[in-house]
Amino acid sequence: MEFFAYLEQTGFSTWVRESRSLFAYPGVLLLHTCGMAVVVGLAAGIDLRILGFAPALPLAPMRRFLPLLWVAFGVNAATGTILLLADATTKLANPDFFVKMAFIFAAVIVRRSIDTRVFRGPESEPAPVTSGAKALAAASLVCWLGAITAGRLLAYVGPVSGL
Amino acid sequence: MFQMLSNPAHAHMWLNHVPTVGFGVALALFVVARLKRHDDLTRAGLVMFFVVAVVAIAAYLSGNAAEAVVQDRSDISPRAVRAHEDAALLAFVFMEITGFVAWLALWQWRRVPKLDRWQLPVVLLFAVVAFGLMARAAEMGGEIHHAEIRVAAPASKEAEAEAAAGTARAIGMFVSGHPWVWPTAETLHFIGLSLLFTVVLIVDLRLLGVARRVPYAAVYQLLPLGMLGFGMNLVTGLLFFMAALPQYIHNKAFYWKILFIVFGGINLLYFMLEDDVWAIGPGDDAPLPSKIAAASAIFLWAAVLFCGHMLPFIGNAF
Repeated sequence: MEFFAYLEQTGFSTWVRESRSLFAYPGVLLLHTCGMAVVVGLAAGIDLRILGFAPALPLAPMRRFLPLLWVAFGVNAATGTILLLADATTKLANPDFFVKMAFIFAAVIVRRSIDTRVFRGPESEPAPVTSGAKALAAASLVCWLGAITAGRLLAYVGPVSGL
Repeated sequence: MFQMLSNPAHAHMWLNHVPTVGFGVALALFVVARLKRHDDLTRAGLVMFFVVAVVAIAAYLSGNAAEAVVQDRSDISPRAVRAHEDAALLAFVFMEITGFVAWLALWQWRRVPKLDRWQLPVVLLFAVVAFGLMARAAEMGGEIHHAEIRVAAPASKEAEAEAAAGTARAIGMFVSGHPWVWPTAETLHFIGLSLLFTVVLIVDLRLLGVARRVPYAAVYQLLPLGMLGFGMNLVTGLLFFMAALPQYIHNKAFYWKILFIVFGGINLLYFMLEDDVWAIGPGDDAPLPSKIAAASAIFLWAAVLFCGHMLPFIGNAF
C-alpha cells in the first residue's frame, strides 16, 4: 500500500487530481467515457446481432469494427490506469473496484472467444452462429452491464474520495 | 433576437410556441393527409410530430429556467406557476410518446410498402391527447401573469408552501430523497448512452467506409435500438433535472447539450428520409452528402456526451 501511496503522490498524479486544467481530471475522465461508449457500443452491437436482433444485418463484415473496439479499449486501459494512479489508495481499498475489474477481465476473455468462433470464416460468407456463441454473446452483454454498473457505483459505495 | 434568447423567461415564451402552434399544425396536416389518403403528406405530418417533440425538450426545460427568473416577482403567482409546470410535464410526456410512435411509423415505412393497420391510428390517438394537454398547459401558462392574480398574490407563507407542491417537484423530491435513485438513474444513463453510440457508430462508420460489405438497409434496422437508448436517457435525464434544478438551469454546458440534442434529432431525419442513403448497397461507397451527414452525427452525439460530461467542470453542477 505504501507503494500506491507513493504513486498517488507523484507529480503527475497530483497534477491529474488537483490541476484546474480541463485536460487534467476532466479530460482524462472524458476520454474514459468516450472509450466506454465505443467499446460497449460496438460490443453490444455485435452481441445483439448474434442473439438474433436485426437478422438481416450481415454478421461476418461486422469484424471490421473490431480494430476500433480494441483501440478504444487501449484508450480506456490507459486512461483507467491514470485515474487509478491519481486515487490509488482509495480505489484499491474499494471492493467495488475489483468487481469492476473482474467484469472487464471476463468481458475481454468472452469477446476473444466470441470473435474466434464467429469470425473465423471468410468475410464474404455468413458467419456461423452456434448456441455456444449466443450464450457467450449474452455473457458479454451481462459483463459490460456489470462493468458499467460497478464503475458508476465507484462514486457511491465503499471508500469514496470525492474524485 | 439575441436578447430574447439570453433571458430564459423570454426564451421560454419564444420556444413554447413551437410545441403549441407547431403541434397544432402537424396534427391538422396529419388529419387532412389521412382523410385524403395522401401518403407523402402523412409522412410530412409524422416528420413534424417528431421535430416538434424534439424541440419540445428544449421548451419544457426552458420553462424551469424562466421560473427561476420570475419567481421572486410579486406579480407572479407561485400557485399558477406550479399548476402550469405540472400541466406542461403531462403534456410533454404525451408529446414525447407521440414523437416516438411517429418516428417508429416513419422508420417502418421505409422498410415495408404498407404499415400495420394500427400504427397510424395510434399516432393520431397520442397526438390528439398530447394536443389537448398542451393547450391546457398553454392556457395555464397564460394565467401566470394575469392582472387579477397580481393583486391577490403577495409572497405569503401560504404561497411558499404552494411553491413546494406539485407533481414535478414531488418527483424531484423522490429522486433526491432516496439515496439509491440517483446512482441507479446514472447507471441507466450510461447504459443508454452506450446503446445510442452502438447505433451512431455502426451506422455512421459504415457510411464513412468501415465494413462496406454491409448495405445501408441492414444497418438501418439498428435505429430503434439507438432510439431506445435515447429514450432511456431522456427519462433518466429528466429525473436528474427535476431533482437538481439549480445545477442545470444556470449551467452553460447544459444549454449547449440541449442544443446539440435538438440538432442531433434533426440530423437523424437525413438517415430516415434521404433516398440516396437508402440506395447504398453492399460494397457501395457512400455519396459525399451522406458522409457529411454521418460525420456530423458522430460530432453532434460526441458533443452531447462532451457537454454532459462537462456539466460539473465547465458549468456549476455538483
